[in-house]
Amino acid sequence: MIKITHYMRQRIIKRIIDVVMIIFLVITLFPIFWMVYSSFKDNTDILSGRILLSRAENAGVEMAADRGFIYVCGADGAVSKIDKTSRKIVKHVSVKSMATSFALDDEYIWVVTGDKGMKQLRKSDLKKVGSFSYHLKDINVSKIASSVVIKEGGKLWLSLELRDFEKVLEFDTSKQKFTSVIDIQNELSPFQVVSMAKYGNDLLLGGDKGLLVVDLDKGKVVSAYPIMVGSITAKVWDIKLHDGKIYLGTSSGAVIFDLKKARNSKVYSSASGLISDHVNKIMFHGKYMFFGTNRGLSIMDVSTGSIQNLDKLFIPISSGKTSKEKLTSGAILSLIVDGSTLMLGTTAGRISYIDLGKGIPSDWFQLPLGHVLVKWRNYIDMWYNINFGLYLRNSFIICGITMLLAMVFATTAAYAFSRFRFPGSNLASNLILATQMIPAIMYLIPIYIMFVKITLITGLPVKGTFFGIILIYSAFFIPFSIWILRGFFAAIPVELEEAAKIDGCSPLQVFWYIALPLAVPGIIATGVYVFLTAWDELMFAWVLTNAETLTIPVGIRLFVGNYQNRFDLMMAAATVATIPVMVLFFMLQKYIVKGLTAGAVKG
Amino acid sequence: MHKKEELWRRIKKFRFAYLFLAPTAIAMLFLHFLPVVQGIYMSFLKLDQFTIGRYLLAPFIWFENYYEVLFNPISPIRIGLFEAVRNTVIYTVVVTLGTLWVGLIVALMVNRRFRARGLIRTLFLFPWIVPTYVTGLLWGFMWQRGIGIINVFLVDILHLLPDKPFWLLGPNTLWAIIIPTVWRYWPLSMLMLLAGLQAIPEELYEAADIDGATPWRKFWMITFPLLRPVWAILILFGIIYNTYSFNIVIMMFGFGAGFPGEWGDLMMTNIFRNTFQRWNFGMGSATSVVLLVVMIIIVNIWFRYYQKAEEIRG
Repeated sequence: MIKITHYMRQRIIKRIIDVVMIIFLVITLFPIFWMVYSSFKDNTDILSGRILLSRAENAGVEMAADRGFIYVCGADGAVSKIDKTSRKIVKHVSVKSMATSFALDDEYIWVVTGDKGMKQLRKSDLKKVGSFSYHLKDINVSKIASSVVIKEGGKLWLSLELRDFEKVLEFDTSKQKFTSVIDIQNELSPFQVVSMAKYGNDLLLGGDKGLLVVDLDKGKVVSAYPIMVGSITAKVWDIKLHDGKIYLGTSSGAVIFDLKKARNSKVYSSASGLISDHVNKIMFHGKYMFFGTNRGLSIMDVSTGSIQNLDKLFIPISSGKTSKEKLTSGAILSLIVDGSTLMLGTTAGRISYIDLGKGIPSDWFQLPLGHVLVKWRNYIDMWYNINFGLYLRNSFIICGITMLLAMVFATTAAYAFSRFRFPGSNLASNLILATQMIPAIMYLIPIYIMFVKITLITGLPVKGTFFGIILIYSAFFIPFSIWILRGFFAAIPVELEEAAKIDGCSPLQVFWYIALPLAVPGIIATGVYVFLTAWDELMFAWVLTNAETLTIPVGIRLFVGNYQNRFDLMMAAATVATIPVMVLFFMLQKYIVKGLTAGAVKG
Repeated sequence: MHKKEELWRRIKKFRFAYLFLAPTAIAMLFLHFLPVVQGIYMSFLKLDQFTIGRYLLAPFIWFENYYEVLFNPISPIRIGLFEAVRNTVIYTVVVTLGTLWVGLIVALMVNRRFRARGLIRTLFLFPWIVPTYVTGLLWGFMWQRGIGIINVFLVDILHLLPDKPFWLLGPNTLWAIIIPTVWRYWPLSMLMLLAGLQAIPEELYEAADIDGATPWRKFWMITFPLLRPVWAILILFGIIYNTYSFNIVIMMFGFGAGFPGEWGDLMMTNIFRNTFQRWNFGMGSATSVVLLVVMIIIVNIWFRYYQKAEEIRG
């Protein structure tokens, strides 16, 4: 049995208190952390109550087999190079984007992102060899959800999946630059391009309303065909050309479209054996045609037209999760055939292999998780949604001038109080302290009416001007400033000033040359405290400012009134409102702490 | 005659002090004294959207505003006034004592020797730098029922409660405004109390150790009484500032747009709403005057008590 000595007990108690203190520190700081953390989250994540930052969707959207390797391109901007025989990732590179699309040629992979421009990766080592921005001035990049691209010959055509982005960009791979921008405004506008195909010298664009034909020589839309299946407008997700026919994968089944007659010549929908009508991808292999749908896979024998459904092999699992029970999962976004194996890229980031000879799943392969989505964009969006620059400027002007004015007034007054016991000094200092008891709203009502009245009588604007609010603020922070500054002046030894007086200095000179320089730390501390308090003032600013002179608190209040569910932007705004005062405080922390506590301990 | 000359001589002697005081005196006269006098005068006027044009010439109605506020149970301004008073009293008492005790406990904890003491003390000051309107906004977000992190912690992670409670609805609202306020203001108490603790001479504790006093006794017999000047001031200012608390409540409910509900309303939000949204300036002034009178009484009681305590101590 170990005897617990007094010393050991002390040590144990000390450790326990240390731990309690650290726990309490963590709890204390948590709300601030949460504010900053939430400002980097996606609002849909916040609204669904997710705690962790979400990850980019790692769905396999494009695949290609080349020289013993398979390249799998994910929607998160990741490219995986996979060895064909060992089925292991040889190299994995990500440009960390969202809803990315890809075009592959013999040498390069072209990664088209909405927010980061276009990147060129070399196939052999997946090294980034080129980066091209779109130079689009009139579009808000933060709204881009996705992109679409095709490559043919030495040219790339790309568009961004944005509803009012009615442009196709042409990129010349040999010149390494964007050569032209084709405007695709048409009778179906607004049109959102989600798929493309090259058709002779024309470009076929599939979108949410149908099909566009762009003549590349003329550089404009020559015809537009709404794709109707039954009475429903179908969104064209994929365009494939086979045997001179145009096959469309649409949201209402697969369609063979006849351009000359401008109508559907054949529709394959759930009635014909496709279980899901939502066809993401079409692929031809030999005499078979594969439909990658939202629920799985269907195979059609082109010669007979009979459809075999393989959906029962698939178990839907949510994105990012892995399930070992079944081999395949989710909606199919890309398909390739490699030898006798069919490879499927799905939404859950899973690549599944199906043995075509046996018609059964043979293996699967999970892509690495997408990158963590840190939404820096919230901070940019915030500036789009509120006029934050103006508020920040106003707050700085108002608080800065208030600080200067209040300091001028309070320094002189505090000096007078601390050095002279003049008739009425007790009464005056008591009155000054007594002002702290008066509710602010009691001033606010008369001052508000006074301001309105002054403007009515003299025609000079007072309410809503910097002048008015600064005047009010300065006056309000004087009493408290005097209270703190008195302590500082009292701490300066009187002997110094008396010596200066004996040397023949006037009282003003004594103040200016002796007392003031010694009180500078205290003045700084008090000034910063006034600045912080003015920064925090809402009630007066709310009533006495107008649209031009709004300060941050009022601006944020208006913003949260209008955007009640945009917690991400709210937290971003809150963070930005907190940072200036935090920086200021930590720069001058020592002075402030000293100044405030000196006043307190003296009572 | 002689006395008057003597006074005049002294005033002349201190002309420099008066000169220094002049700017402040003028500012205070126009922006403190004048508005307060006006406010008191306005509380006797029938001042609403119809008579505001005439301002001080509006009908003088003596104590009718006060009657409406204090005694007429069916006057529009009385709606929610009782709740606001009740909430303000609970809020002020709990927040003042809460900030004091949390501040005292942490001050005692950080007033020891340990590693990274300066850093930890600074980190404890963090909440105090967050502006109050941000505090209201942030906690309003954290108190959300379905998605707020507090409910997620309590229910989804720790399973302390069977069901997610509403924090911004019903009686819970009172806690939803008290806790953020304590969170925001306790670092200031800690700062002050820490300064007070450091001023207590070490010899007192050494003497107590020799007498074999327990830490508990040492706290109650030495620390607490010697900190009296600090906590007395903290209580005084706590009462004043918390009674006039506005920002946190106004930012938390409906995110700045809505009515705080009967358990979240405080005096200031109540007066503000009645004054600037109903344009009932006369009654608003009357309510603030009543509030001021109550505050003066409380502060006087405080001074009496404090002076008596100081006298006893000698």
